[in-house]
Amino acid sequence: MKLDLSRPSWAERLPPARSVAGDAPVAACAFNRDGSVVAFALGDGRVRLLPADLGATPPEAAAPVHGGVALSLVADPSGDGFVSGGDDGRLLRHGTDGSTSEIASYKGRWIEHLAAHRNGIIAAAVGRNVVVVEGGAIRELGPHQSTVAGIDFNKDGGRVACAHYGGVTVWSLGQANLPPRLFAWRGSHVALKWSSDGRFIATGTQENDIHVWRIAQATDMRMQGYPAKVKSLAWASNSRFLCTSAQAVFTAWPFAGKGPEGKPPVQFGSEGAGLMTVVATQGTSDFVAAGFDSGEVQLGDLKSRRSAVLKMADGSEVTSLAWSPDGGKLAIGNERGDLILLDLGR
Amino acid sequence: MAQAQVPVTVLTGYLGAGKTTLLNRILSEQHGKKYAVIVNEFGELGIDNDLVVNADEEVFEMNNGCICCTVRGDLIRIIEGLMKRKDKLDGILVETTGLADPGPVAQTFFTDDEVKARTRLDAIVTVVDAKHFLGQLGQGNEAEEQVAFADVILLNKTDLVSAEELARVEGRIRTINRYAKIFKTEKSRIELDAILDKGAFDLKRILEFEPDFLHHGHDHNHEEEVASLSLTADRPVDPDKFQKWMGALLQLRGPDIFRSKGILAIQGAPRRYVYQGVHMMMDSDWGTPWKDGEKRSSKLVFIGRNLDGANLQRGFDDCLAPA
Repeated sequence: MKLDLSRPSWAERLPPARSVAGDAPVAACAFNRDGSVVAFALGDGRVRLLPADLGATPPEAAAPVHGGVALSLVADPSGDGFVSGGDDGRLLRHGTDGSTSEIASYKGRWIEHLAAHRNGIIAAAVGRNVVVVEGGAIRELGPHQSTVAGIDFNKDGGRVACAHYGGVTVWSLGQANLPPRLFAWRGSHVALKWSSDGRFIATGTQENDIHVWRIAQATDMRMQGYPAKVKSLAWASNSRFLCTSAQAVFTAWPFAGKGPEGKPPVQFGSEGAGLMTVVATQGTSDFVAAGFDSGEVQLGDLKSRRSAVLKMADGSEVTSLAWSPDGGKLAIGNERGDLILLDLGR
Repeated sequence: MAQAQVPVTVLTGYLGAGKTTLLNRILSEQHGKKYAVIVNEFGELGIDNDLVVNADEEVFEMNNGCICCTVRGDLIRIIEGLMKRKDKLDGILVETTGLADPGPVAQTFFTDDEVKARTRLDAIVTVVDAKHFLGQLGQGNEAEEQVAFADVILLNKTDLVSAEELARVEGRIRTINRYAKIFKTEKSRIELDAILDKGAFDLKRILEFEPDFLHHGHDHNHEEEVASLSLTADRPVDPDKFQKWMGALLQLRGPDIFRSKGILAIQGAPRRYVYQGVHMMMDSDWGTPWKDGEKRSSKLVFIGRNLDGANLQRGFDDCLAPA
C-alpha cells in the first residue's frame, strides 16, 4: 500500500469511512491476520466483528461474550479470527463465523493486556503473572513485582517482555532454564513496546515520562517533559523512530545511529486537535496514525514530516487504533462506542 | 469528554470492626444506585453486589525522591478499567485491609490526572471496634493511623461495651483526631447520608464539613503520639512567607503529617485561601470572599505524629504580616 501525503487529495478531503454504533466504549480494536475482518472489544462485554470491506453490510451485534468489559483484543496468530481478554478473567478465541471458545479462565482477574506473535504464540497479562499460550500448551511466567501493565514479544517471538513496578522483566520462552532478566527502573511502568528490530524496549511510566533500554548493552535512557502519562508507544520506520502519545503534535524520538541521547525529538503537525491518546504504526512503515482526546485522527509521515486529518474531532476521545496488515485501512474506536473504519487506499 | 466525577468512599478499619457489614448495608439499601466495590484480595467474603473488583493493594513509591509519595497503582488501573464500562457508576467504594495504611489510597487521588478527571475522593470512613480498639492501638500503627486519616468514624459495636468503656474509647479517638465526625453504631447501622457524598476533600466544602473547624481548641495531649491540633491567627498571612514555611514543613515532616487543612486570610486578598493535603500532597484554591466587616482570621489543622504545637504556632506566627 502506497500512502503519499504530498498528494493534494490528502489535504482536501477525508478518506471514505464507515461508522457503526457500538453503544459502549471501545477498549481495543484489531484486524484479523488476512485483513478481511475488523473487531472491536467493547465496554458491554461484546466483541463486534465487522467486514473490513466498507461496502459490505455490517451484521447485527451478537450477545456479550465477556461478563463485564472486553478489555483486550489481538488477531489470532494461529487462526483467521481473534483472541480477547475480559474483566471476567476469560481468555476467548473468536472465529470469523462468530463462534467463540474459551482458552482459559482466571476468576477474579482482569485480562487487560494481550500480545500475539505471528509464530502463533499469545501472551496475556493475568494479575502478576503472564500466561503464554502456544498451541494447546499454557504456561505461567511470574509472579512479577506487581500486576503486569504491558507485554510485548521480541522480533522472533522467542522472548516476551513484561512491564511492572520497578521495571521490565524479559523471559526467554525457548529456554526454560534461563532465568528471567530484569531491566530495573523505579516506579510504575504502564505501557511497553519492543522495537521491531529487537534492540530496544520502551515503557511509559506513571511519572509522565518514557524509559528505553538498549537490550544488548543493558543501558537505559529517560525522556521527560510529557504533560500526561504516555500510555501509547509505537516504533516506526524500521525502529528508527519511537512515536509517543501525550503530545499535541507528532513526536518521534530518533533511534537511528547513536540514538536519541542529547537530541530533541522530531516533532511535526499542527496543534489544536488536543492531546494524542493513541499512536499506531504498521510494520516497518514511515506512517503513524494518531488519535486525540478531541476525537480527531491524523496521519503523519515521518519521512516527509507532513500530516493530514483523517477524521474530524467530535468530542469523543479516541481509545484505540489499528492498521490493517497491508496498511491500507485504519480502524478507530472511541469512548462513545463508534466503530469506525477508514479506507486510505486513495 | 466532560463527565461528572464519580465519588469514591474509602472504608478502612481493623479486621472485624464491621467494614463488610457496613459495605453490605450501603449496597442493600433501596437507593437504585450502581456502585462498584473494590475489595482487597484477602478480604472477607460475602459482598452482595454485581460489581466487585479484587485489588491487590499494590503500593509503589513515586519516582520523585519523596519517600511518602506512595500510591496505589492497582487503584489507578482499576478505576481506568471501570471507566470503560458501558453502564456508568454512581459511586465507588474502596475497602482496604485491616492492616492497610490509608495514605497511599488517598494520595492516589491527588497524583493521577486521569483518576482526578474521572473520580473524586469523597471521604475516608473508618470503622472502629469499640471493644477492641484500645487493644489494637498497642499492636502497631495501623489502628491509630486509620483514625487519624478519617473524615467520618463509625464507633461500632457500642452494644458490646459499657458506657464508661465507650467514653474512654471515644476520648482516645478524639485525642488522635478531633475533627472527624463520630457516629456511635451497633452492627454498622447508620444512615447512608452520614457517610456518603460528604465532600470531605472538596475545597469548597471545608467549612461546611467541619462546623467545629473555626473553634480553637487547646485540649490536645502532647503525650499521645498521633494527635490533631489547630493553629490560628488574627492578622493576615504573608503568602510568600507562608509558602516557604509550609513547603519546608511538609518536606521535613510530610511522612508524619497525615492530614492537613487550612483557611487563610491572605494579606490584600478579598477571598479566603483554602487548602487541604495528605502527607506532602496538597490541593488549594481561592474560596468564598470575606464579607464586609467580617473578622478575617486564619486557621490551620494538622493531624499527625509527634506534632509540636508550640513550635508550629511560632512558625505560623512568623508568616503573618506585620501588625
